Amino acid sequence: METFFIIAGIVLFTTMWAEIYRVMAGPTAIDRIVAVNVIGTKTTVLLVFIGTIFGRVDMFVDFALAYGLLNFVGSLAASRYFHRCLPYTTPIDAPEKRKKTSGGNRTEIS
Amino acid sequence: MTIAINILSILLIVTGLFLFLGASVGLVRLPDFYTRMHAAGMGDTLSALLVVLGFAVYQLHGFHDIRHDWPVLLVILKLLAICVFIMVTSPASTHALMDAGYEEGCEPLTKEGGNALKEDLARTRGEDTHDSEEDSLS
Amino acid sequence: MGMRILGFIAVFVTGALLTYGVADFPKWGDPHSPANAGEVSTYFIQNTKADTHVPNIVTAVLADYRGYDTMFETVVIFIAGVAIMAILRVLATIPPGHQPVQYDPRKKIAYDPIISVTCRLIVPVIQLFALYVVAHGHHSPGGGFQGGVILGASFILIAITSNLRSALRRFSEKRFIFIACAGALIYSGFGLTTLLFGRNFLDYGVLSKIMFDTDEVMARSHSMLGVEIGVMLTVTAIMFAIYANLSSRGALRGGL
Repeated sequence: METFFIIAGIVLFTTMWAEIYRVMAGPTAIDRIVAVNVIGTKTTVLLVFIGTIFGRVDMFVDFALAYGLLNFVGSLAASRYFHRCLPYTTPIDAPEKRKKTSGGNRTEIS
Repeated sequence: MTIAINILSILLIVTGLFLFLGASVGLVRLPDFYTRMHAAGMGDTLSALLVVLGFAVYQLHGFHDIRHDWPVLLVILKLLAICVFIMVTSPASTHALMDAGYEEGCEPLTKEGGNALKEDLARTRGEDTHDSEEDSLS
Repeated sequence: MGMRILGFIAVFVTGALLTYGVADFPKWGDPHSPANAGEVSTYFIQNTKADTHVPNIVTAVLADYRGYDTMFETVVIFIAGVAIMAILRVLATIPPGHQPVQYDPRKKIAYDPIISVTCRLIVPVIQLFALYVVAHGHHSPGGGFQGGVILGASFILIAITSNLRSALRRFSEKRFIFIACAGALIYSGFGLTTLLFGRNFLDYGVLSKIMFDTDEVMARSHSMLGVEIGVMLTVTAIMFAIYANLSSRGALRGGL
């Protein structure tokens, strides 16, 4: 059974090279972010593999959970980078109008 | 019982690895951003779920009696927590990244070769496109 | 293009050398490896359980045997946060001819409904997990720094998914500066209390006199938890302070 885990882990690690290719060759920046996100998910799974192979799953599960969590925060932050911010000052003489920012779904709700 | 647990976990892990492979191939081979995003988002969630579930099944080997083996039960619960966590967060981050790509103006590949994104963006953003100067403060 | 290829070659060669170096590592858990065979390591491995009742040797070394070191690591993080605030924080940033936008405080500006609902589901779980990492540091990997980073990430997640304004309403500037100071003060307070009882700085065993129903060994274990909580408070507050200052260019208004 342990041999199976080792082989499966190696297969999982090998498939990561596809994402590495996309990180290097991706035409846009967001392509690279997506690929890094996929690598993060695979690392989460790979940590569980390593824990099982070492026989200390109780330890490595915590690592995996924390890694997945920070991966989620990181990908959200990277996606947020492409949205514009809310202004906090306006010119005084400008007529009052509804601020419509670039996102279609970013509106003021109560 | 042992063999049944082994077979079940091997089945789940192999299925998950196969889907991981599919996600990777899709990420490399598909032509434009949206299809690549589709492959990455869909394949990633289900396959990570299946592999972690396979490990949760494999942990049942050490579980015979709840009085002595409760740490094993804790590990199984944590693995299931990872499953739930991936199931909730991965689609959300896929959605956020897709939204960011749409904002950035990644063009979808269309059969006619026209720029479908431009019309779509103009329709979503509405008529008032005069906000470019004020909102540029970041 | 030539520089990129050169850079790739440099990175590849470095990686290959490092991978080659892995072959010389001692085996996993080898008791005769140089790191484990020294006098100090042998003492820790043999006596940690008897001295402190903490199963995780790393936590015992970090918070007890080398507590002085960890205290100043916390202070370093605190100073980093204070320095970033001192450099970036600006008070009046309204350019001439402009006025601040008055947002209705009862309304909130949603970044995206799907993501804010997901965030609302996930943030309590993250905070609970962070507290678990801190409190369970005696038995599993974890401790104040890790738990603080996760807790700070949960506040940053709020700021990312809704906006900085609603995150600052939960964790305002006054509050995070206070908490950062309180964390560093808790740590050094433990040390000063031991001084008052006539022992060395950060020699926790003597605290059994003021803790109920503990002997010297358990007092060391409990004090480690208290110290870890202090570290967690500082790291959480400084993480969020750095994010808030960087994302709004020190104005703490508007922002992402």
